[in-house]
Amino acid sequence: MQTGGDIPEVPGRPDERDRPRVGVDEWVASVEGRREDRVGFARLGRRIDALLPPWARLLIFGVFAATLPFWMDRGDLFAYGIFTLIYILLGLGLNVVVGYAGLLDLGYVALFGFGAYFYALLSSEQYGIHWPSAVSIPVVVVSTALLGLVLGIPSRRLLGDYLAIVTLFFGQAFVVFVNAANPTVRGKGLTGGPNGIADIDPNDLLGYELTTRRQQYWFILGIVLLVLIGLHFLSESRTGRAWRALREDPLAAEAMSMPVNRLKLKAFAFGAGIAGLAGCIFAAVLTAVTSGNFALPILITIYAVVILGGIGSLTGVVIGAIVINVSFQFLAPENPQDNARILFYAVVVLLLVLAVRPWWMLGVVLGGVVVFGFAAHAIAEAIDPSWTAGAVVEGGRLAGVISDWVIIPAGNDRFANVAYITLVVAVLALTRIRGWWRTILLVPTLYLTAIVWETSFVEQPAVARWILFGALLVTLMTVRPQGLLGTPRVEIV
Amino acid sequence: MTQKPPLLELEQVTKSFGGLTVVQSLDLHVDEGEIVSLIGPNGAGKTTVFNLVTGLYRPDSGEIRFEGRDIVGLLPHRITQLGIARTFQTLRLFLNMTVKENVMAAAYGHTRSTVLEAILRLPRARREEREIAALAEEKLAFFGQRLAGYRHDQQAYNLSYANRRRLEIARAMATNPRLLLLDEPAAGMNPAETLELTELIGRLRSDGGYSVLVIEHDMHVVEGISDRVVALDHGVKIAEGSFEDVATDPRVIEAYLGLQGAA
Amino acid sequence: MIVAFNAELFIQLLVNGITLGSLYGLIALGYSMVYGILKLLNFAHGDVYMIGAFVGYGVLSLLGGPLSPNIALAPLIVLMFLAAMLVSGLLGVVIERFAYRPLRDAPRIAPLISALGVSFFLQNSALLVFGSQFRSYDSFVLGSKNPEFFEPGPLTDPVFVVNNVNVQLIQVIVLATTAGLMVALTLLVAKTHLGKAMRATSYDREAAAMMGIDTDRVIASTFFIGSLLAGAAGVMFGLLFSQVFHFMGFLAGLKGFTAAVVGGIGSIPGAMLGGLLVGLAESFAAGYLGGRWSDLTVFGILILVLLIRPSGLLGTRAIQKV
Repeated sequence: MQTGGDIPEVPGRPDERDRPRVGVDEWVASVEGRREDRVGFARLGRRIDALLPPWARLLIFGVFAATLPFWMDRGDLFAYGIFTLIYILLGLGLNVVVGYAGLLDLGYVALFGFGAYFYALLSSEQYGIHWPSAVSIPVVVVSTALLGLVLGIPSRRLLGDYLAIVTLFFGQAFVVFVNAANPTVRGKGLTGGPNGIADIDPNDLLGYELTTRRQQYWFILGIVLLVLIGLHFLSESRTGRAWRALREDPLAAEAMSMPVNRLKLKAFAFGAGIAGLAGCIFAAVLTAVTSGNFALPILITIYAVVILGGIGSLTGVVIGAIVINVSFQFLAPENPQDNARILFYAVVVLLLVLAVRPWWMLGVVLGGVVVFGFAAHAIAEAIDPSWTAGAVVEGGRLAGVISDWVIIPAGNDRFANVAYITLVVAVLALTRIRGWWRTILLVPTLYLTAIVWETSFVEQPAVARWILFGALLVTLMTVRPQGLLGTPRVEIV
Repeated sequence: MTQKPPLLELEQVTKSFGGLTVVQSLDLHVDEGEIVSLIGPNGAGKTTVFNLVTGLYRPDSGEIRFEGRDIVGLLPHRITQLGIARTFQTLRLFLNMTVKENVMAAAYGHTRSTVLEAILRLPRARREEREIAALAEEKLAFFGQRLAGYRHDQQAYNLSYANRRRLEIARAMATNPRLLLLDEPAAGMNPAETLELTELIGRLRSDGGYSVLVIEHDMHVVEGISDRVVALDHGVKIAEGSFEDVATDPRVIEAYLGLQGAA
Repeated sequence: MIVAFNAELFIQLLVNGITLGSLYGLIALGYSMVYGILKLLNFAHGDVYMIGAFVGYGVLSLLGGPLSPNIALAPLIVLMFLAAMLVSGLLGVVIERFAYRPLRDAPRIAPLISALGVSFFLQNSALLVFGSQFRSYDSFVLGSKNPEFFEPGPLTDPVFVVNNVNVQLIQVIVLATTAGLMVALTLLVAKTHLGKAMRATSYDREAAAMMGIDTDRVIASTFFIGSLLAGAAGVMFGLLFSQVFHFMGFLAGLKGFTAAVVGGIGSIPGAMLGGLLVGLAESFAAGYLGGRWSDLTVFGILILVLLIRPSGLLGTRAIQKV
C-alpha cells in the first residue's frame, strides 16, 4: 500500500502542476513518472491509492470476500475462495522477504511445506497426535519462523544470486527429504514418502471443528484480514522502513544505524512464519499433504502472485492472488474446458484492446483475424479435407464456430507441435518489428494462437497454464518489472 | 577543554589493499564543536578514512577512538548509533522511498519498539512513530524551502542532484549524531548552491550542535567553513593547520599541481 | 556398518564420477561465463541443456531411430552433437536477446525472475511438445548388428580395463569431447579477438563499450558458446544414461551451478574442477550412502563452500568499492 509517488500538490496554486517548468531539474527527472501517469494501469494504481485509503480498500475487500459464500457453491468456494485466500497468505509472506527486504528467497515454498507437514504430524492419525489448532498453529508458526531464521543465515554473507541458489537448494532438499529420505521414526516413515500424510484434522476454533467449506472459508478470511492489518502497520513502522531501506541499499542502511544482518534474519523469519501459517491452513483444508504440493511450480505461482500486482504492495498481492488463482482454476484439468476457452479468448482480446491503438486499428486486426481464419480454413479444406477433419475438444457454445474457423487436422500431434513452436517464434518476432509490419504479422499470429489453443493447450490445460505463467513472468519483467499496478522503480547501477 | 579527549581521534591508522597502502600511519582528531576539512588530490585516501571511521573497513593497524572509546571492529550500525553519521560521495539514498521516509528510516538506531508492538499498534510504537515523523520534519526544515512540505512525499529519485546531497545530510542528521562526516557535499552544485551549502555547514554547528569532518574539493567551501584543514596525499598527512597555512604549504601545492619544488 | 574396502567398486565409482563430472563441468562453464560477463545467474541454462538432449534425440529419430539408423554410427553421433550444439547455442542467444537484454539496467531481482520464467517456460514447452514420458537414446544397442535381440552395440565396448572395471567407449568419447571443447574454449578466450573482448567486457562492461567493443555482440557470443557447451552436455547425458525427459535440466542445472560456484565462478579451469568434484561427490555418495542421499550431498557441498569460501576454490575475492 505504498505504491505512492504522486505528483506533488503545490498548496494554493492548483494550476502549478500543469505549467511546464522548463529548466527545473526535478521536472526533467520526473518525466518517466508523468509519462507513466498518463496511461494505463499505473494511473489506475495511483487513482486507487489516492482515492481509497488503505482501510477503505481493506473494507471493500473484506465485505466482498465475506459475502462470497452466499452466492458460490461449495466446490467453487473451495477452488476460488479458499485457494485465493491461501495464495494471498503465501504472497504476503513472500512479499515481506522479497518485496520489503529485497532478498530473493527461492526456498520459500519449502517453508510452506514444512508448516503443512509439521501441522500434519501434530494433528493427524500419523502418530495419533491430535493437538487443537490453538496449540498446534502457534507451535508450527514459531517453528517455521525459526527454520526461516536458519535458512536466512547464509544471507549474512551472500549477495543476491548466491542467496537465491542456496535457498533454491534448500527447497529442493526439502522435497528430496520428504519424498525419498523419509527417515523412520517410531516404526513409521516420518513424512510418508511419496504418499505423504493423510487424514489430517481440520482446524478448530477453540474446540469447535471447522468441517464445512463455509466455516473454513470464513476462518481463513479472518486470518487473512488480520495478517493484512498487521502487515500494513508493520510496513509503516521502523522495522518496515528499515527493510525497505535495506532493499534499496544495504550498505547505506547499515551506515544509517540499521543492523542489516539482523533485519535480514527478521524478514526471513517473519515471512517464514506466515508461510507456516499458510501451511497449517493448507494441510487442514486439503486433509492430506504430499511433496508435490511444495515443488517448483508452486514457488513460481507464488512469485507470480507477488510480482503481478506490484512487488512490495499489499494491495498488489491481494489483486495478484485473485487474478492468478482465478485464471489458474479456469485452466485446472477438472474444470469444464469451455470456461477455460472463453477466458483464454477473452484475455487475448483484452490484451489487444490494451495494446492496439488507435481503436479503429483494433477493428481492422480483429476483423482481419476472423476473415483470415475462414479463408485459411477454406483453403486447407480444399487442398485436403483431412487437414480440417479434427474434432473440437468439448466446444460448448463456441464449438460450431471454431470447427469452421480453426484448422484442426485429424491426428494432429506433429501439426500441433509445429504450430506451437511457430507461435513462439512469431510472438518473439512481433516484439522486434514496428509499424505496419507488426499489424500485418499480428493477424496470422493471433490465428496461430487460436490453432495452438485448440490443438495443444486445450488438451493439456495443466501444462498450458505453466507455460503461460513462465511467459507471464518474463513478459512482466521485461515490460513492467513493477507489476501491473506498481510505479516504476529506479535503481542506480 | 584540554583535559577532555577529542571527539574523534585516529592514531597511527594504516590500511592497505593488496600491495597498495591507501592510508599510512595517519593521526587525525576532531574536537568537540570543530569543523575540520580533509583535502587532497583524487586517490589520496580521504574517502577511505571515512570508511575506516564508520567501520566499513577495518584498519590494518592503529587505533580509532570516539569520545575516548575504541571503535575499531564495531559494526557500522553500532558506530552510527554511538554518534557518527556520514554522507556518501556517490549518493546512496533509498531512491524508491519518499523523502520523509528516507529521513525516518535513519531513526532506527535510537528507537526501540519491536515488531510485535508495531503490528499491534501498541502505545510505545505509536508514540515513537509520532516522534520520528516530527524528527524527520524538523531535520528537513533545516534546509528551508529546498526540502519543504510538498517534497516530503516525493520519491527520492525525483530530487535534483543538489537536493539529493541535502537529503543525504538530513538523513545523517536523523541518526542523532554528534559528529557528521560529509563526503564532498558541494560536488555537482552550482556556485549559488555552493555558497548556500557553506552557510549551511556553519549552521550545522551553530544550530545543530554537530561537530563536522568534511571532505571537499571546492577551496571556497573549505576556506569558508574550516577551523582546521588536514591535507592528505597518497594516504599520508602532508599538512595540517589553518586554511592559509595549508593552502600555502609547498607540499600541498606540489601534491595538487605536481610542481617540481624544492625536492 | 563395516564394509571391506572394495577396489572394484571404488574404481567403478571413480570412473562414473569423472564422466559425470565432465558433463557437469560443461554445464558449469556456461553458468560461469555468463555470470562472469553479466553477473547474471542464468537459471534457464539447465533447460538449454535439456533442449540439447532432445535435439540429439530428434536427430537420432529423424535418421531412423536407435534401432535402425540410416547412417554409420560415427557420423550419426557427430551429427547429433553438431545439431544439439547449434540449436542450443541459438536458443541461448534468443533467450539472452528477449529475456535478459531488456533488463540490462533493471533492478537486480528482475533478470533473476525473468530467468526463472524462461526456465519454467522451456520445461513446460518440452512437456507439451514431447510429452511426459522418458525418451530413450537406447545407446546400449546403438550401432549394434542385432538391436532387436538386445545385442550390445559398440558404444558399450570396453576400451581398456582397470582392475576388472571396464571403461566403455562412450565414457571415453565423453571425456575426449569434453577435453577437446575445454581446450578450444581456453584457446578462444586466451588468443582470439573475441576472447579479449569477452575478458574486457566481464571486467568492466561500460568501459569496454566506450573502448569500441560491441558489448551486446560479445554478450550474445558468450551466451552462444555457453549454451552450445550445454547442448553438447545434453547429448552426452543421453548417450551415457539413455533417457531424456523434460525435467532433467532442473537438477543438472543446479549441479552445474554448484560446480561453477565450487570451482570459483568466472574461472574456466575452476568450472571444470568444480564439475569433477561435484560428479565424484555424487557418484561416491550414491555408491556408499545410497542414491537418495546423492543430491543432498551435492547441496551440502555447495552450502559448505559458499559459507567457508564464497569465492570458490579458484576464484579471486573482489573488494567492494564504497
